[in-house]
Amino acid sequence: MAIFPSEEWLKGLEVKINSDERYAEVAKNWEGDLFFHIESEGNLKEDLTFYLDLWHGKCRKAVYKPDASAYPKPAFKLTSSYNNIVSVLTDKMNPMTAMMTMKLKVQGSMGYMMRNVPTVLDFVRVANEATTDIL
Amino acid sequence: MQPILKINLTTGATEEFIIPKEWEREFLGGASLAARILYPYLTKELDPFSPESPLLFINGPLTGTSGPTTGRFVICGKGPATNLWAESGIGGFWGPELRAAGYDGLWITGKASEPVYLWLHGSRLEVRNAAHLWGQNTYTTQDNVKAEVGEKSARVCVIGPAGEKQVLFASIMCDHGRMAGRTGMGAVMGAKNLKAIAVHGTNEIPVADLNKYKLLRSESNRKLRDDNEARILREVGTAGVANYAEYLGAMPVKYYSRGSFENIDEISGSKMTDAILVGRSACQGCVIACGRVVKLPKDSSKRKGPEHETMVGFGANLLNDNLESIVDLGDLCDRYGMDTISASNTIGLAFHLFEMGIVTTRDTGGIELNWGDVDAIEQLVRMIGSREGIGDLLAQGSKRFGAHFNAEEEAVQVNGLEVAYHDPRGVSGMALSYATSPRGACHNQSDYFFVDFGHTSEKIGITYFERHAQAEKAANVAKHQDWRTFFNSAIICIFANVDPQMQVDLVNAACGYEWTLEDMMKSGERGWNIKRAINNRMGLTRANDNLPKALLEPYKEGGSMGFVPDLPAMLEAYYTARGWDMESGKPTKDKLIELGLDDVAKELWKKG
Repeated sequence: MAIFPSEEWLKGLEVKINSDERYAEVAKNWEGDLFFHIESEGNLKEDLTFYLDLWHGKCRKAVYKPDASAYPKPAFKLTSSYNNIVSVLTDKMNPMTAMMTMKLKVQGSMGYMMRNVPTVLDFVRVANEATTDIL
Repeated sequence: MQPILKINLTTGATEEFIIPKEWEREFLGGASLAARILYPYLTKELDPFSPESPLLFINGPLTGTSGPTTGRFVICGKGPATNLWAESGIGGFWGPELRAAGYDGLWITGKASEPVYLWLHGSRLEVRNAAHLWGQNTYTTQDNVKAEVGEKSARVCVIGPAGEKQVLFASIMCDHGRMAGRTGMGAVMGAKNLKAIAVHGTNEIPVADLNKYKLLRSESNRKLRDDNEARILREVGTAGVANYAEYLGAMPVKYYSRGSFENIDEISGSKMTDAILVGRSACQGCVIACGRVVKLPKDSSKRKGPEHETMVGFGANLLNDNLESIVDLGDLCDRYGMDTISASNTIGLAFHLFEMGIVTTRDTGGIELNWGDVDAIEQLVRMIGSREGIGDLLAQGSKRFGAHFNAEEEAVQVNGLEVAYHDPRGVSGMALSYATSPRGACHNQSDYFFVDFGHTSEKIGITYFERHAQAEKAANVAKHQDWRTFFNSAIICIFANVDPQMQVDLVNAACGYEWTLEDMMKSGERGWNIKRAINNRMGLTRANDNLPKALLEPYKEGGSMGFVPDLPAMLEAYYTARGWDMESGKPTKDKLIELGLDDVAKELWKKG
């Protein structure tokens, strides 16, 4: 549990994902890694990236500020401004609203995403619960 | 806009109708303008199948301009199943072709003494014999008319056997699979002995400031191409939302009696993409291409694949998880020329009443109506299209079918139009969308389920309320209806996730206006209210703003278990937001005058 965004926060998220029974069940068929790009805004002074390899309800790898070239073809690349990400993490914005209004840009298979909306929503729940404070 | 060509099929007389400029400014085009034009003619006494009954094919000022999803037109009149205002939007290329022929509408009245089709090329109109085409399916008719007129670029609107036989939910098809599905406009066309309308033109599409418009459409199409929602529609079609809708308990199952469908993965847009998709199709100028082109293992050639409504209607609604059969059933409806929502809904009612023991094999001609029995479903579709046996009863839609068996309350319809496949128990805003739609239970007058999914438009005040919120979202629904009424007048497809300010800019460049966002919303509100006034005059009251029994019973399973919309409270808040009279359900005199509808106010509120 830590302040978002920070390396400690990402580590806490990894631990939370790997210990959350509900997520393990909902996401048991999910196969896809995520590359997040958070655009600087407000309290976030520089763009930030992090990487999560999510597989069958578990997190196999989490990397804070990774070299993008190390993960050239993630299943999904998600881009959003800092304030919008914070809004989602603090339940001020529905994650589907973020996606449908292009506040969260998604690169990757939209078909796979739509087939797995429950997994996406539960991932956001886990991330919310792993966040105690905001920068 | 360009003139409308009036055609009397009884006399063969034609006349140009010049649209008053003030009507264009107030109603823009499409369905709203059609309501203004047809207002004097849509009376309570009018029989939709009479020669006097008007059928208006009309464009909007953006039709054919290659703006974002602007290849559409709309067909308006009086609905034979609802006896209310009817409009049915349709994509393809026919509307743009009509514009290129120099007209923005065809206003058909009268009745031909024998089957005919119209051939409009340039400013020349021919009324041709269609006796040899009568009985042909929609696809064959399009091919044959095109061959007869000898113009490869011609675009053809047709009815199939269902329209000829006046099935109350008969549709009109153009461009190999694009359908004006809802409200039975195909039956009205059939009643006029009008089999098809072929058009061809070579004129430039009129745009006030073409240079500005080109820049705007380029930018809006580029953004739309990358839009998340557009990419979903392109990648997996409209049925791409199936899994999510089922997860929420927003997808009706077993004729609106179950809130979940365990085999949803078998009939989703994703499954179709993985299993049988071989291509995509688009309307004129559209960068989304939501149309599905599929090929089944048994097929020798490609054909149209089902969209969301057909997928759910002939799938989960009937407990059918056989994707290939859904392709076949949708195709069969298309060939007969009938609406897949109303057809599958009415068939669902027959299965439901069969299970209740109200409909028996004596009624069905020996056919057992067991859920998921594809052969039985197919037999009923064929019997409806040809009006044989029990098909003659089913062809009258669910309300009349239910009434025939003294079970009208079991029919899932509003004012005679069958409810589409977005369940208000999963997405509560649809309760108001269905109950107050001017054409019966319609999901296109306000696809509010998308807002309940999370699709907001903050610039015009359409914000997010929890999907099971009640009366507090009523004003939001009204606003969304106004916005979609603007879409249906411009005409823009509701799938165009384009910034509202950009839409206003496009209208301004196309029409030479200086509209603001407020003007756009006001135009939508005006259109919504004149349609309401037409319906009030035809007998609609507050009592008509209702939902069928099934939608007010909670599900026992699924993502919306236990929830029902509080319709009376929602309606009260909605009437307040609308400025409608609580008792009569009519727009108040003040509201109509505020919208510049003084003549309507005078007539609607005349004493005695």
